[in-house]
Amino acid sequence: MPNLDFLKMTISELAPKIRNKEISPVELTEAALTEADRLQPKLNSFITLLHEQAMDQARESETALSRGDYRGPLHGIPIGLKDNLATAGITTTVGSKVLANHVPDEDAEVVIRCRDAGAIFIGKENLEEFAAGATSNNPHYGAVHNPWGLDHVPGGSSGGGGANVASGVTFASLGTDLGGSVRLPGTFCGVVGLKQTYGRVSQRGLMVTSFNGDHIGPMTRSVADSALLLQVLAGNDPLDPSSVPVPVPDYNSYLGKGLKGLKMGVPSNHFFDLLDEEVEAAVRGSVAALEELGAELLEVSLPAMEYIGAMRISAMADGVVTHEPYLKNHRESYGPDVLYRTIPGQFVLGKDYSKSLKVQRMIQEEYLRVMHQVDFLVTPTAPVPAPRIDATHVNINGEDHRVRGPGSGFISRNTSPLNAVGLPAISVPCGVNHAGLPIGVQFITAPFEEGLLFQVADSYEKTSPSQRLRPEISVGV
Amino acid sequence: MSIQNETLKAMIRDYDGLELSDEELELVRPELETYFSELAKLESLDLSDMFSGRLTRLPEPDQS
Repeated sequence: MPNLDFLKMTISELAPKIRNKEISPVELTEAALTEADRLQPKLNSFITLLHEQAMDQARESETALSRGDYRGPLHGIPIGLKDNLATAGITTTVGSKVLANHVPDEDAEVVIRCRDAGAIFIGKENLEEFAAGATSNNPHYGAVHNPWGLDHVPGGSSGGGGANVASGVTFASLGTDLGGSVRLPGTFCGVVGLKQTYGRVSQRGLMVTSFNGDHIGPMTRSVADSALLLQVLAGNDPLDPSSVPVPVPDYNSYLGKGLKGLKMGVPSNHFFDLLDEEVEAAVRGSVAALEELGAELLEVSLPAMEYIGAMRISAMADGVVTHEPYLKNHRESYGPDVLYRTIPGQFVLGKDYSKSLKVQRMIQEEYLRVMHQVDFLVTPTAPVPAPRIDATHVNINGEDHRVRGPGSGFISRNTSPLNAVGLPAISVPCGVNHAGLPIGVQFITAPFEEGLLFQVADSYEKTSPSQRLRPEISVGV
Repeated sequence: MSIQNETLKAMIRDYDGLELSDEELELVRPELETYFSELAKLESLDLSDMFSGRLTRLPEPDQS
């Protein structure tokens, strides 16, 4: 059995040790599964643990290594999959009771790519019901708990993945991000969450998803690991018309380049308007650190963000269409948050839907104009640190804001605009609040400029006050 | 803008035959109110010059 310290490493640190046979994929997977079993009663981060399949994969991985067939840095690395990513022969519930016994025939494209790269899947991870919310407080499979504070949400909807990467149970987890569902668990769990450009990664096999703006992205313990995962996931999928046939650069080559000569945009409106004081202080501190590293600070204005709420209109209509086949016959199997948030979508008029698409285009054009003025944008990822699991609202400046169910959307106000415009964005830990809950800073670049995104995030990460911080609930503790 | 409960019930029934209680109707109202308030913001916005963002691309075989 390997020392549990190996489970605390990043993939970039571990991969050479696997390649050199200092660490056995079989022993590593056994250790990860043992810790997953031990922490599951506390975190509730998995819906299905894949003991047998993972150990079969690990043995095959070790055999491949012994014959010199090394498949790259994911070889022999235990990772997790959000339970809305199709896995052939393995139950994929989408966090719902409706699909509790659904077993897909085919793997999602991202699952195929990770398997081919040698990754080992140790489990299907818990999430918000139908991935439709920011808390991962699931009415059917129970709430996921944040390893930094068990009474707090891990963010959502990919909360199980965030909790697992933070606690050390998985080295990376694949989540999905329709309004911030990778980046919010990233910020609340103190890990790196990436939403790459729309079209960079195939969505094929992402179940019960929206027609507009969903992304599959990784949660990792470092920016370098995020780059490594995207290298595996990125690329055109001829069977997914949303994926775009553009070249995939060597992301690793952008790491360590520094920030000298880069222009950093800080929005003067929307993103800093409604913030917890400690979040604002942490992110302003990040901006100062980036200046110290050589980035030139420019204030930028995004006036069209006044209309970003119009994206809710198209999302409501898309949501009800997505759920129509299930709602008709399984209404009683829905939890109240998703049910009462979905039903109003039927009232959206066609003309209003069309208007919201025009607003989307208007906002996209504004972002593209701004991205000609600067190389990257900096914003807080979420307006608050992780709310309590039992919270229905959070209070900012004396005003209550819903955090779950119908009318909610406050938590994702800084992440969902990037889904509407399709730009790449990454959340990187930038400190903790007085209660020890993580805070995240979000970086944004122009379309398909993920290399630059990693360059910025990697430079910042090396100075972040979150370096070497670990949650109270984690492997070996 | 506000919709009377009876109108709302009839619209929901028309969609999928669901009968919702008055209490349940109150639960769908926050999302509806979001819809109406976002619509109100668009009233004075001129969108006549916005063109479609749709792109049609042919696959480029050497790019993956």
